[in-house]
Amino acid sequence: MGNGLAGATLHINLTSGEIKRVPTDEQFMREWYGGRGVTAKIIYDQVPRNADPLGPENIFILNAGVMSGSLVPAGSKVSFGSVSPLSNGHGDSNMGGHLGPALKFAGYDTVIFKGVSPKPVYLYIDDDKVELRDASKYWGMGSLECEPNLKHDLGEDFEIATIGPAGENLIRFSCITHDFGRQAGRCGQGAVMGSKRLKAIAVRGTGSIKVHDLKGLTKYVSDIIIRTQTHPNMAPWQKYGTAFFIDWSNKNGVMPTRNFQTTHFEDSKGIDGDSLVEKCLVTHKACFGCWMNCGKYTRATLPGKKPVYLEGPEYETGSLCGSNLGMKDINEVAYINWLMDNQGMDTMSGGGVVAFGMECFQRGLITRDQIEGQTLNWGSIDDVEHFVDMIVHRRGIGEWFAGGTKRAAQFVGQGSEKFAMQVKGQEMSGYDGRWAPGMLLAYMTCDIGAHHNRAWTITVDMAEGRETIDGRAKVVVYLQHIRPLFDCWCICRLFWGELDIEPEEIVQSLNYVTGWDVNFPEALRTSEKIWNLSRCHYLERNRSNGRTFDYPPARSWEDKIPSGPGKGKGLVKEQVEGMLDDYYSCRGWDSNGNPTRDVLEDLNLKFAADNLEKIGLLGQPIPGGIPEVRGERYKPKAF
Amino acid sequence: MSDTSPKPSSNLMKIFLRAGGQLREKLRPDTDHYTRKVEYDGEKTISDILKLIEIDQSFIAFIYANGEIKDFAYIPLDGQTITLQPPVSGG
Repeated sequence: MGNGLAGATLHINLTSGEIKRVPTDEQFMREWYGGRGVTAKIIYDQVPRNADPLGPENIFILNAGVMSGSLVPAGSKVSFGSVSPLSNGHGDSNMGGHLGPALKFAGYDTVIFKGVSPKPVYLYIDDDKVELRDASKYWGMGSLECEPNLKHDLGEDFEIATIGPAGENLIRFSCITHDFGRQAGRCGQGAVMGSKRLKAIAVRGTGSIKVHDLKGLTKYVSDIIIRTQTHPNMAPWQKYGTAFFIDWSNKNGVMPTRNFQTTHFEDSKGIDGDSLVEKCLVTHKACFGCWMNCGKYTRATLPGKKPVYLEGPEYETGSLCGSNLGMKDINEVAYINWLMDNQGMDTMSGGGVVAFGMECFQRGLITRDQIEGQTLNWGSIDDVEHFVDMIVHRRGIGEWFAGGTKRAAQFVGQGSEKFAMQVKGQEMSGYDGRWAPGMLLAYMTCDIGAHHNRAWTITVDMAEGRETIDGRAKVVVYLQHIRPLFDCWCICRLFWGELDIEPEEIVQSLNYVTGWDVNFPEALRTSEKIWNLSRCHYLERNRSNGRTFDYPPARSWEDKIPSGPGKGKGLVKEQVEGMLDDYYSCRGWDSNGNPTRDVLEDLNLKFAADNLEKIGLLGQPIPGGIPEVRGERYKPKAF
Repeated sequence: MSDTSPKPSSNLMKIFLRAGGQLREKLRPDTDHYTRKVEYDGEKTISDILKLIEIDQSFIAFIYANGEIKDFAYIPLDGQTITLQPPVSGG
């Protein structure tokens, strides 16, 4: 078996209970890089285009890539993938912790689930022993309750991934939880698990992974350890994690506040990194193979409620469940973090969905009668807790919101679509794009809906000018190629983003592990291929020109920012259109946002071009041809 | 890097600024890979010092010194080491 790989792939038919173990196809892993890439190709090839994402024909995949579980710094990730019940397109989400390495140590690179189990089950893996076991006693448990129960029953050295009641009840923005607070949050992967009656995955692995050049890898890792220990960013990251970012985001006018109505929260001091460390921190926490320990294990203490323990809030939760809900105290934010973690819903989408409900209530679009006589006021922890319970159990209009913001807006109507802060059904991350146009474009064009991890451009926006769209498209395209590579290889991107490890060094570490002899341009090109495949998949499933799906809600251009440092700032519709035109041009797609045959064939995706042509969605040829390089490397001019 | 322990202030102040990432390039380190020595007369706030060396403070998420976050009004002691933390690139 190839280096970096564990050797086996599990095919699990949940309907019949059949488990098959086959050798991992190394050539396939080499071609699609593992993780998100492998998932994208499998679901493109095997899920029928009309399959319900929450039905038996959808496929649910785990893949631990080629670097998870190796010596590579923070090689801790595991990627989950399926057709997303939020976007109805390609969906993938990943988490750190220890599950990915454990899966590899047990001997498995990939697990592919098909069908639906007749009763609740969990997957039990103890090296060679693989079983589907009855999960009836765990069904209904919160994620943060299920994990210790499974560890109690199986052994502390099992790594557990589980869903909560939200996933069981097919709430479309449900997450998967592991290690008492690490989540694969986005794309509704928890709902897909729930639809298959798969409550949890428990893995113990005691093997090891062969690498191509152990001597080279050891030297590389030793050098990285020495360099990063003295890096200026290390100590602050170790102390605060991403929570420190609240203050900066607020001061620079990108902080989502009260459902993105404004971009500056007047009470941000109460929810910032200092508050977290001072009021809630219990201990620091790291993933496998990482010495940055950005995870913060915390306790939330609120009057009248029992203390709860959780990991977080990190920045995204701090903003989307903090300022975006009008919460003024870090204990309130941490409590909502715990609540959503335990129910098994993504705190990013969850924060977005509740905030949308609050703005609907503020504007009188939903009434007390519709929320069981309660209120839904900004800053009310009790209102949030009650509304989340309505959603998780689909009571009353909780059913509307169980589908996420986009679907809820279709029920609420009355113009609420304008402030349903999502793209392609997935709620926006914790940055407002009205004064950061590149960030808005990143949301608009992200393959899984409005998510920041594919491209984050705010410092680029600041460097290039926050009120101009010039040059933003090429940056977004470049970032959409480099950042998802980490999700293929299943390593954390923070060593690149925050500790100055160069992309070429990471590619070299890939070569030490695999012997694949990859170079950085090839890596970017493979990532571009995956991006185009997921775009084709989206168009094939949703059957309209790509441009149709790439618009943000109208608030993004109709409402100027009303307060704070960005007061009066905002985009106009022509700028939004202009960014899309520039973006499609950079990608070699036509003005309808459809990939062209030239670009697809250049990326060895002729089959996808043929499929688009059959349904009339293949892009028109570009006069003058496609760009030779799509997404050249970016160096900001301000530096 | 030489001795960075704080010393009683005098008219000529010397501090060490550290930064990584794109901010490191802007800082133009001269002492080690991440560190630049800055000398100036009299006490100044971090905000004033950044103006002196022409770094836009909007590119700095926070100031970190003595294991704590400081604001831009913080006045460093002579000989102190100050970390300039750039914004995260989105986790």
